[in-house]
Formats: sequence, structure tokens, C-alpha cells
Amino acid sequence: MSIAEQQRVEIIKALVAGARILILDEPTAVLTEGEAQRLLAMVRDIAEGGAAVILVTHKLRDVKTFAHRVSIMRGGKTLATVDPRQTTAEELTTLMVGSHVVTPSRSAKSAGEVSLNVTGLASATVEGHTPLIDATFSVRSGEIYGIAGVGGNGQTELAEALVGGRQPSAGAISIKAPGSPTPSDITAATPLQRRDHGVASVPADRQALGLATRLSIVDNFAIGFVHEGRFGSMALIDRASMRRATQAAVEDFEVQGVRSLWQRAGTLSGGNAQKLILARELSRAPSIIVAHSPTRGLDVRACAAVHARLVAARDAGAAVVLISEDLDEVLGIADRIGVMTRGRIVAEFDAPADRNAVGRAMVDHV
Amino acid sequence: MLLDAPWWIMSDQDAALSPLAVPRIAGPGSGRWPFGRMILEVRLDMPAWKQVVAVACSILIGMFISAVILVASGVPPGELVNEFASNVFDRQSFQAVLVQAAPLILVGIAASIGFRARFWNLGLEGQMVWGGIAATAVSIYHIGPEGLRLPLMALFAMMAGMAWVAIPALLRMKFAVNEIISTLLLNYVATYCLYDLLYGPWKDPKDAFPHSSLYASAERLPDIGHGVNAALPLALVLVLLVFWFAEFSRFGFYLKFIYANPAMGRLVGVPIIPVVWTAVLMSGALAGLGGFLVPSGIAGRLTQGFFEGYGFSGVLIAFLARNNAVAAAIVAVLIAMLFVTGQSFQIFYQIPFSMVQMIQAIIVMCVAASEFFIRHRIRLQR
Repeated sequence: MSIAEQQRVEIIKALVAGARILILDEPTAVLTEGEAQRLLAMVRDIAEGGAAVILVTHKLRDVKTFAHRVSIMRGGKTLATVDPRQTTAEELTTLMVGSHVVTPSRSAKSAGEVSLNVTGLASATVEGHTPLIDATFSVRSGEIYGIAGVGGNGQTELAEALVGGRQPSAGAISIKAPGSPTPSDITAATPLQRRDHGVASVPADRQALGLATRLSIVDNFAIGFVHEGRFGSMALIDRASMRRATQAAVEDFEVQGVRSLWQRAGTLSGGNAQKLILARELSRAPSIIVAHSPTRGLDVRACAAVHARLVAARDAGAAVVLISEDLDEVLGIADRIGVMTRGRIVAEFDAPADRNAVGRAMVDHV
Repeated sequence: MLLDAPWWIMSDQDAALSPLAVPRIAGPGSGRWPFGRMILEVRLDMPAWKQVVAVACSILIGMFISAVILVASGVPPGELVNEFASNVFDRQSFQAVLVQAAPLILVGIAASIGFRARFWNLGLEGQMVWGGIAATAVSIYHIGPEGLRLPLMALFAMMAGMAWVAIPALLRMKFAVNEIISTLLLNYVATYCLYDLLYGPWKDPKDAFPHSSLYASAERLPDIGHGVNAALPLALVLVLLVFWFAEFSRFGFYLKFIYANPAMGRLVGVPIIPVVWTAVLMSGALAGLGGFLVPSGIAGRLTQGFFEGYGFSGVLIAFLARNNAVAAAIVAVLIAMLFVTGQSFQIFYQIPFSMVQMIQAIIVMCVAASEFFIRHRIRLQR
């Protein structure tokens, strides 16, 4: 099941069990707006039917529409409890982030030549999933190509095919390194070969595919580089230089909550775990970045940091594929947007895209 | 945690808290447990010294249970202590322990290197059998000059062990056949091949017993003094080699990821297939070499049952040593004491040697149970 489907099942399980106190932690993070509205309307009905509902969310709109009372937490402290209907979104945002949220600005630099070309990509049918049927798009260097769409429409399969997690059943992926005259076909390449071609991957399921949670922060950072021989030879790995490089990367990417570099990566919070993954994937100056739901479940500040990193990589000339179920995110930082529905890219928009037009493309074909 | 991550991707360390109330909160009017409520929490981490204490306690409990069983089956309690103490303080027993330790060290590190690659090699005995057959073939067919006979026997034994483990490895990589089943079943195939040779062409012509003729003296491991043969230093060198491979080589670094999260490792560029093959073949080679050390170092010939008990012991050693080669060497010496003691119990009290395996099993179960207390914390609430 896709993450969206898994979450729906979890919510239904809690509701079927007749819960009287319902605690929902970011329940709408990967749902589409329509799904989220329906879910939260139902949750409000449950609350008005006598149950106590705690809704943990970072979406102000959900709070303003559905909550009776809202407490704002920051840095482990409750700052205020207010009536959301009588507080403006700006006031709430200020309470949440403390300072002003800086949206990364678009660079004036125009995109370069096509560096990633995907044609007719399809994936094998797995029961209960929408397979990839025909994904065709191209991304230029210095461009963020956002792929918007309701979760479970082939995004996971597309990401897997791009990073080499699973072989596509049809279609071709070719990449062109800056400066090289001809594109090279990587459809059948292993993840290792793709990395050597400059492909970086930020997976959606960061606990399962982004990190080895039982291994240390140093190990999780260094694994991206050992095969290049950066940390010692085949015979002897160089732990000291691993530690130094990790220290530098942790500082550079502002990974917080690091008491020791040898602590388990699983002890990092979601945002810091994602920063560690970005440190590993982006400090190699990749030419292609495949980021799938990179801010899912993160707080506002961590989201902004992730976005800033992706934009910086774009400005440095990388071709970024941003697969996201969060429409705000795609509208906010993508230079071009493709809408994915039922395994196909059904529409493309240039930024700034019209929210309603993109939304219509997302649901028209369902 | 309800909606953030599904349980199957959450390793227990990552779960912040999972309070399972045991028993469930009693409803109004119903009786409560006398000690109130027991709450089970997942620990995020446990300091290393506490883990050592927990494992040590569990081993002590296991030894106590084993002692009770031994006393019940006729060993006087005083003798029990004497027999174990003599392993260290009696010169002859100590030599026996050191001789016995070498093959146990080899199967222990063989198991641990396979386990590190998540290849559950339960076919150590089959690989030993083929190692023994290959080494004996060198002896029987006089392959190579006498001076090179021992290294050739060792080499043949290692290659035979590798070849035998390659079958389940190939089955797993190509057809996803579970190696736990295939390695275990192939042990029986190897054993019957051994019986066929020993009851047939390789039967000792001198006494017509089902074992091979005695090795020539050039085919026996030389004594290095104090009645200990060259198997022990060889095993210790291999321990260091395996320790280096697992802890300091690049493949060893890859193995950590293959053990912890292979799917993630593959995505970040771990060359899974070559690394797993290397580890699996090493495992087979070490077990095969163990199959050379027993006949050449202890019996002086290939016997019917020379491999018995080593497969389970190897797995046990790797488990207790947490797949660490140096720790495996230490555990192997302790298991060797158990073997030697078991042999004298067999002679003096007619206690079957399978009692040794039972004691091993009890200790494994106790240590496995201690894992629960390392991972969880139990709190009583009144």
C-alpha cells in the first residue's frame, strides 16, 4: 500500500475500535486536500459527538477550519492556547516559527540543457497499486521539476525506477552529465552506477530507505562515499576522516540533536534525520536529485531548510525531480510542474502555476 | 506514532514508547493483580555495561539450571565443580581444552561472518564434512610432495567448504530459496556421502572399521609444544583476519549495512551481491578448514562422527559473541571446556554426550531471553 493508503487504514482502525480519545499526529500530511477535508470533517463530527480529539498538525488551514481550540508548541514548550477563529494565520505562524518564514526565492538564472530524459516509463503491476503506465518528461539542469498528484498514483513506482530501486517494465531513462556530448542510458543501471552518474536520492520513507537507523550517524553519512575510496582503501577504512567529514557535514547542514556522532541515526528527529540524508546526498554536488516527499511530517522550520537546500542545489546546476503530494510545496519551489494521475503525467505547467488548474488536473482524470 | 510510520518499518529502538499494559487495565469492580499494573516499555538504549551484566546473569542462570539437571542425573555436586575447575587448573585437561578449542573457533567465526551478511549458514557441519573429505583425499591419493601436504590439505578443505556453501548461496541468490532450510538439509547429503566413502572405498584395510587409514605423520598437524598442535595458532590468526575483514575493511563496512538495512544499503550504493558472496564463501571456507583440523589435529584420520556437535556449537558461539570474531574465540574456549567436561562425564558417569548439547541449548535460551530485558523495561505501577 502507498503511505496514503496505509494512513487511511490506520485512521479507520482507530475509528472502528470506537476510540473515545483520539490523538492524530499529522493525519493529513500526505492526503490530498479533498481527502483531508473529508477526514477532518469526520473527526470534527466525532469530537462534537462527545469524544476528545487531539490533532497534531502543522497545517494552519486545518487548524483554522476544524479546531475548537489550538495550542501552539515550539521547542518543547506550549506558547499559547487561543481560539483559532479569532486569530489570524499570520499571528499563528509567528507564534509557530518565532521569526519570519523565508520562502526561497526563485533564481533569475534560466535553466540549462536537458539533463534527465524519461520516456514511456512503466512498471509491472502489483496488486493493490496503481502501476506506472506512461511517464514521459524531461528535466533541465538548474530546474526543479515538481510532480504533483494524489498519493498512490504511481509516484512511488516512478521514484523507484528513477533511483534504481526496481527495474521498470518498459520505457527509458537517460541522463546527460554537464559537458558530456551524448546522453547515457541508465534504465538498467544499478543504484551504485547511478550514483556514479551523479544521481542523488531522497526517499519518501526516510526511516526505511534513507537511513540505517541502527547504525551511527557517521556510518550513515560515510556510506555514500566509501565506494569512491574517499574514506580509505579496500583494506582499511579510515574512521578518523569519516568522523571529520561527518562533523563538517552535520555542522554545514545544521543537523541538530547530535550528542555524539556515534549515536544511532534512529535517535534523530524526523527533520534532523532528513537533514542528515540531505547532507549525504547533496554534498556530492549531484547533477540529478530525485526527492520524494522530502518534507513529509516535518515542522515548518525543517521544511524551509529542506526547500532551501533543494533550491540551492538547483541554483548550482542540478536537475531536481520533486515528487510531492503536498501541493503547496510543489507550487512554492518548482519551476515546472507535471501532474501525475493514474500512472501518467497528464499535464504540465510552468511556474507560477494556477493552483486551481493544477488541482483540476489532479482530480479530472481520477 | 499512530500515523507517522507503520509498525513494520519501525525498528523497536525507534519506537519512542510502546506501553503494553500487562495485564490490561482492570475495569471497575473487577479485582486487580496484587502488585498493581505491569508496564512494558521499549528501551531506547542500554549502556554497554548493563548489557554485559544482563547477559552474564542469564548465563549464570543457564548454568544453574544445567547443574540441577546434571546433579539429578547422577553427578555428585562436588564433582561438578571439580570437573569444570580442572579445565583450567589441571594441565592435561587444559591441553585438551586448547586442542578442542581450535575447530570450535573456526566454526564460530565461520558462522559469525555468514550471519553478518544475513546468510544463516546452518550447514557448517556439511561444509566440515566436505572439508574433511577433501583433506583426506589429498592424504589417500598422495597429492603433492610431502612437505606441501599440510598446506594442500588445508587448501583443498577450504575449497570444498566453499563449493558446498556455494550451492545454497546460488539457490538463494538466483531462486530465493531460504538458506536456513537448504544449508541444514544439505548437511544430511554431505553426511551420507561421507558414510558412503567410509563404508566403501575409503574403509581402513587394516581393521575394516568405517574410518579412513591413519594419516601419515607429515599429514598431521605438528605439535607446537605442551601437547597443543598447530591448529590453535592457525585458528587465532584466522580470528584476527576475520576481525579485520569485518571491522576494518571496506567490505566489512558494507556488511554493517547489509545486516542493518539491506534495502537502504543497496540504494546508497552498497554492492550487495559481491559482498554477500565474499562473506558466504569465507564462511564455507572456514568451516571446511575446521573439517580439516579435526581429523588432522585430533583423530589422525577421517571418522564417521568427527563433525558432530560443531554445527550447533558454531551457531551458538556466533550468537553469544554477537558475530564478533574476537569474542567468538573467547566463547569457543568456554564451549571447548564444556566439550571436555562432557567427555569426562561420559566416561565417569555414563552421561550421554548429548547432555553437552542440551546445556548449550539451555544457555542459548537464557541469553536469548535476556535480550528481552535489554530491549524492554518493566515497571510496576501500584
